[in-house]
Amino acid sequence: MKTVDIVERIEGEAKLICQWDKEKISDVKIQFLNFRGFEFILKDKPILDALVYTPRICGICGQAHLKATVEAIEDIYKNHNEELTLTNKAKLLREIGLNIEIIDSHIKWFYMFIMPDIVKFSNNSLEEYSALKGKKWLEASSIASETIKSLAVIAGQWPHTSYMVPGGVVSDPTLLDLVTMQNYMDQAIRFYENSLIGTNLDTYLSFNKSEDLYKVKGDLKDFITISFENGFEKIGKSYNRHLVLGDSLSFEKGKISRKLTKNIDYENIEEFTTNSFDIDKSKVSKEAYTWSKTALYANSFYETGPLSRAVVQNRSFVSDIHKHYNDSMFTRVLARMDELGFLLSKTKELIQQININEESFIKPKVSLKDFHYGIGQSSVEACRGSLYHDVEIENGIISKYDVITPTVWNLGPGIDNKLSTSQKAIVGIDSLEKAKLILRSFDVCSVCTTH
Amino acid sequence: MIDSQEMVKKVFTQNSARIDTNKGDAYYNSLFEKAKSRLSALRKQPALKDIDLMEVVESEGVNRRDFMKWASATTATLMLPPMFTPLVAEATELMNRVPVVWIELQDCAGNSEAILRSATPTVDDLLFDVLSLEYHHTLQAASGHQAEHQLEDAIHTFKGKYLLFVEGAIPKAMNGQYGTIGPGGETFEENLNRLSKDAAAVVAVGTCATFGGIPAAAPNPTGAVGVMDIVKGKPIVNIPACPANPANMVGVVLHYVLTGQVPELDSLLRPKFAFGYRIHDNCERRAHFDAGEYVEEWGDEGAKNNWCLYKMGCKGPMTFNNCSIIRYNEGANWPIGVGRGCIGCSEPDFWDKYAYERPMADANIKAPTGGVEKTVDEFGLGLLTATSIGIGVHAVASAVAGKRTVHSEDEE
Ligand code: SF4
Ligand code: SF4
Repeated sequence: MKTVDIVERIEGEAKLICQWDKEKISDVKIQFLNFRGFEFILKDKPILDALVYTPRICGICGQAHLKATVEAIEDIYKNHNEELTLTNKAKLLREIGLNIEIIDSHIKWFYMFIMPDIVKFSNNSLEEYSALKGKKWLEASSIASETIKSLAVIAGQWPHTSYMVPGGVVSDPTLLDLVTMQNYMDQAIRFYENSLIGTNLDTYLSFNKSEDLYKVKGDLKDFITISFENGFEKIGKSYNRHLVLGDSLSFEKGKISRKLTKNIDYENIEEFTTNSFDIDKSKVSKEAYTWSKTALYANSFYETGPLSRAVVQNRSFVSDIHKHYNDSMFTRVLARMDELGFLLSKTKELIQQININEESFIKPKVSLKDFHYGIGQSSVEACRGSLYHDVEIENGIISKYDVITPTVWNLGPGIDNKLSTSQKAIVGIDSLEKAKLILRSFDVCSVCTTH
Repeated sequence: MIDSQEMVKKVFTQNSARIDTNKGDAYYNSLFEKAKSRLSALRKQPALKDIDLMEVVESEGVNRRDFMKWASATTATLMLPPMFTPLVAEATELMNRVPVVWIELQDCAGNSEAILRSATPTVDDLLFDVLSLEYHHTLQAASGHQAEHQLEDAIHTFKGKYLLFVEGAIPKAMNGQYGTIGPGGETFEENLNRLSKDAAAVVAVGTCATFGGIPAAAPNPTGAVGVMDIVKGKPIVNIPACPANPANMVGVVLHYVLTGQVPELDSLLRPKFAFGYRIHDNCERRAHFDAGEYVEEWGDEGAKNNWCLYKMGCKGPMTFNNCSIIRYNEGANWPIGVGRGCIGCSEPDFWDKYAYERPMADANIKAPTGGVEKTVDEFGLGLLTATSIGIGVHAVASAVAGKRTVHSEDEE
């Protein structure tokens, strides 16, 4: 038997085609059928234009794209032995901006994208979670819009801003601006404490064993209860291989297949279109069924995202939960909400570190147009996982721009009989509703996946 | 924090910045009567959502006075005379009589994200509480087949009455196969045609839906176009910008509730209340432009003193939009506020036409002549679609005269 269903309430839409055998999913195809062609549009444009184009790949993780672009450009300088100097202030302002975007996204994801489906599995009717009118939904929407204002203070607006430029950032916040940002962060922390975890943030951050799950209260407790009632800790398991490409003051790069290594080499990244549509019709293979490409690291599928970041960085609470339940749907959702707490505290700390007397920008000595040829790569950790940009320029004009988004790692099609991360997590499941939840647990964004 | 609503009011009541849209007492009197009877008719209709706005407002700890302050600022935003204030307040309460269906096509969801934080100054969730959003691709409760049924239900039940909000462009190339929707594989174009057929009006939000936006940037690989290139025989309102300002989306709905009509539009179908003047006309750095004080490079003394960004490539002088007044994220800030200049995101083809190594450095651009406070139709479209903008800085002497950076665009 074959079923076709669509997954909405994500960014864009995904189509889920399941093959059933004895009431279990024996094969699954995830289709993304919306394509804009960013890599084609970026070609032949002046490289600095990319700072305005790439944030528009996604309405949710634009800061991540902006940071990836600016760092890829700075990598071009570096590859010409013209490394740019960045002040600590500029580095902080970039990372703080990105972190705020992740914080905002995590809040919305839990309340708007996954809880409305999770509560359907509860024995109680949890109307407060219902979309557009439930009390919790509205509260989350309002706190997210407050939180993101702290990014607007330095970035001008959100979504879609371009405040980062090679050499630093254009904005120069005053002390008052920084205090304003702190205030917005404090509001978000209060929401996290009062609504999501029902306890003090510092207390929560001291949790380090899976038994501490019982100490969690608030809305996250609703999730934990429903999960154990329905065995969500047993479903959604994939390869349990984790990849973190970007490192920063908040995250560490590394990968885990059997064991952890902090050695990451971009050379190991490969992208395939065997099962993807191609804009050049003559190249479309018969196997093609989606606009998403396939991304492999060292020839293997890896999961990327908050769970991967927590285990690579060995944050104790999630790491211990992961020891018990591996890469299950439960662990994945929990890790994302844990990261929210971690980032709230981290970002507050980073804002405190800004020295407003430093410069925001140091002008590059040479122009990109002076490089006859240049290549640059970068990777940053976005809300959904590792984002990778790879650019090539000739006389300041883009000759190639390749983007691999986090969702391509997680949700792209399998290849050569190897199931992709999300396919592997879904195969063997006995209900379509659960399959859709597992898919959602990766934080699906169809516009990012196809770009 | 600057109260954006107060700012709006100030700007619109200042003589120097006033745009002459005054259509005379006779016009406003008849519009007033029309709005009054429309609102009383709406009031008799059953609410689609059983919510009393004033109860919501009060439960949020906002008093009637603050709400009326908001209503009067909104009236000014809509470029209506003060006598409309009570009607605007009433229209807000009746927003739940007008069903809204929101679909997403070739987009990044940025406009949906933006509306999630819509400037509803008195009550954060006013919009969601009161607006009758019958379907929203990303935000609704249902998903999968259930969501599809909900959409079918909405367009059937509210036939001829709903406002269709469209986010995203429409790919025409390869028979529309660059974007399909639902299990049946309906193309975006088919989807848009089907859903707009029975809409009262179609509102295109964001530069993708209005002018094709980023997917339509050269070489436009998917053959993307905007809503007005597809939908015919319907009132269409364009709210461009990337992202569109939620205040303007709310403004259009309010205006529709109030009058049963779409607001007055310019030749690009943009509401004049929002796009009737340029960024430059009300820019907070304008005094520095007039004084010839410019930022010459990021981070210089001029940048630290918030001087004009014209020489950094600011497109404010040729961009029609009200973000210099409304700002973004509920008035928190806007691009020029952080010193990066306007990129002209609400203009047609801005991706290609205004591309000037954004964020630009050492740019030579020329503002259209004809003085300030002119509408797009007074300028004529020709000026704004001119492809060449590299004409050298003119008009005002630079405060740092003679200073040039090494890589001038003139060399090209
Ligand atoms: S050129 Fe730009 S920064 Fe300068 S006054 Fe005009 S809009 Fe403002
Ligand atoms: S300032 Fe210019 S680029 Fe920025 S949002 Fe407004 S119109 Fe768009």
